[in-house]
Amino acid sequence: MHAKKQKPANIILAVVMFLLSLFFLFPVIWMLANSFKTDAAITADMNTVKAFIPPALNGSFLDNYITILTDTDFLRYMVNTLFYAAILIILGIVVNGLAGYALAKINFPFRERWVLIIMMLMIVPTETIITINFLFVAKMGLLNTIFGYILPMIVSPFNIFLFRQVFISLPDDVWEAAQLDFCSPIKYFFTMVLPMSKTVVATVSVFTFLGVWNDYLWPSLVFTSSDLLTAQIGLNSITSNDNTTMGQTLAVITMITIPVIIIYALFSKQIVEGVVSTGSKEG
Amino acid sequence: MSFIELKHIDKIYPGAEKKSVSDFNLEIEQGEFIAFVGPSGCGKSTTLRMIAGFEEITAGELYIDGKKMNDTLPRDRGIAMVFQNYALYPHMTVEKNISYGLKNMKVPAAEIKKKVDWAIDILGLSEYRYRKPKNLSGGQRQRVALGRAIVKDQKVFLMDEPLSNLDAKLRVSMRNEISKLHRTLGSTTIYVTHDQVEAMTMADRIVVMRDGVVQQVGKPMELYEHPTNKFVAGFIGSPQMNFYPVTVQGNLVRFETGETITLPDLILAKLNGREGQMTLGIRGEDIKLDEQSLSLYEKDKQTAVVENTEIMGNENNLYFTFGGQLTVARVSKYEVCQIGDKIEFAFTPSRVHFFDKDTEVCYV
Repeated sequence: MHAKKQKPANIILAVVMFLLSLFFLFPVIWMLANSFKTDAAITADMNTVKAFIPPALNGSFLDNYITILTDTDFLRYMVNTLFYAAILIILGIVVNGLAGYALAKINFPFRERWVLIIMMLMIVPTETIITINFLFVAKMGLLNTIFGYILPMIVSPFNIFLFRQVFISLPDDVWEAAQLDFCSPIKYFFTMVLPMSKTVVATVSVFTFLGVWNDYLWPSLVFTSSDLLTAQIGLNSITSNDNTTMGQTLAVITMITIPVIIIYALFSKQIVEGVVSTGSKEG
Repeated sequence: MSFIELKHIDKIYPGAEKKSVSDFNLEIEQGEFIAFVGPSGCGKSTTLRMIAGFEEITAGELYIDGKKMNDTLPRDRGIAMVFQNYALYPHMTVEKNISYGLKNMKVPAAEIKKKVDWAIDILGLSEYRYRKPKNLSGGQRQRVALGRAIVKDQKVFLMDEPLSNLDAKLRVSMRNEISKLHRTLGSTTIYVTHDQVEAMTMADRIVVMRDGVVQQVGKPMELYEHPTNKFVAGFIGSPQMNFYPVTVQGNLVRFETGETITLPDLILAKLNGREGQMTLGIRGEDIKLDEQSLSLYEKDKQTAVVENTEIMGNENNLYFTFGGQLTVARVSKYEVCQIGDKIEFAFTPSRVHFFDKDTEVCYV
């Protein structure tokens, strides 16, 4: 009976959601459809329904993509970004995870004050400290190095807080049992704590990946060598080049968007859980 | 020297005014099964955790196998522990949970397999070998926890209320399994429980605690028959011992509501001339309703009206008010009474206990 009552509401909701998603997806569909076209075709299809329909499959279907991948360094930029993201995911989990564990489970003086400080740091926008980070990296002589790029990005108050919120609910007796099983604290962290907290590890990984993938400002400050550039900077340099066609621009944007869409599609549950767990009740 | 010795152990938590455990002294022999019992917050788990090394010992000394262990890491104390909430590793299978400690101890793989096979076999976990804890029932999880403890060949087993999360039926069967395991392995076991039935049925000796202080240490029947104070008398035994404020004058005991009973010479000798206000205690099974007993204690016969009955199957518990106190009598299943029935009963005079009104120390 309850289900019957809900049915019309569900249908209305589904229709509304479908229309809304179409509305939001219009630019994406347009981008995807036109990324396979020549500039002439794009102009010709403009203001018609065809603007949302990809061209017929023929020999030149992937020309824009092939040009971008062969004539520019965009593939390298993407590989660079994936590499940075992988390193930052691993280091981020280790460093922020250990910090989160300490704040959740180890008793030390002023622990709660530290948590408060970290929570306060969460509201400081990255842009406000980017100058300090830049000066710091420059003084250390790390400009235009991978290390210089990665170093200030490892520690994330948000991720520390996320880890802490999840670790706080881990049962203490598992650690006690592990001690009697001759498990060292570090081994416990890697073989017990992280596997028991797969969701938060996935959440932090996703957030880190998206952060690195979408970041423009910090890599543009640190990197001057084109060998080390990231995808977002590559996108900017390719799209601002006068020789790049509209179709090629859309192909680059499509390529840079696809990983983000895949990540959201695969890990939407973790992203939601991550956000929920930061707001979860303490203890 | 005993196998485990606790000497004047104190525990005070930082910021607390009162000791959680106070002057705890105990000697445990190798192979003994000791149960710590007491109500919640009496310090029994704290004491166990101090033995395990998870709680710091504020004062006093702990010796295991002749070595002082106060500052030794838990893993180096030669102990294995079974936790109340099982504390299994949720992402590992039954087999991996059991073998994890052995792997960390760098035991050769063939030896690990042999030990894990043995544990899985004696605990009846064969068909769950590759399951993860979330796919096991409470009883199966507790068996895995036991398996994890027994494979390591440790000298001492510590069990912290291991059966409290199980249902009544499973608790009885696990009780038997733990007892059987203890007999098979011959390991020294310290078992914490708030359930006096568990302690009575499993332990060689019981330590009764209250507010961090040991009330009595003894064999189960010693505690049952000869409690040192009113607390132990009330805590051990189910249903609880009946208590009445009384006045003793010569061989006559007068209840607050005016009824009297006569004490036999045996009890008078134990009272050793003590008279005046005291607390009388008698167990439910020592209150008799049968004809033979009533004729035997004819002049001390009492009457009451049954207020409630509990039919246990093998016996009945009858509740009525006597001497101003709610009283329970354990009678045979053939002595059927209904609520509202007027009954005649008599105390078995040789089975009464007397406690000091103020200090609650047991005289008899």
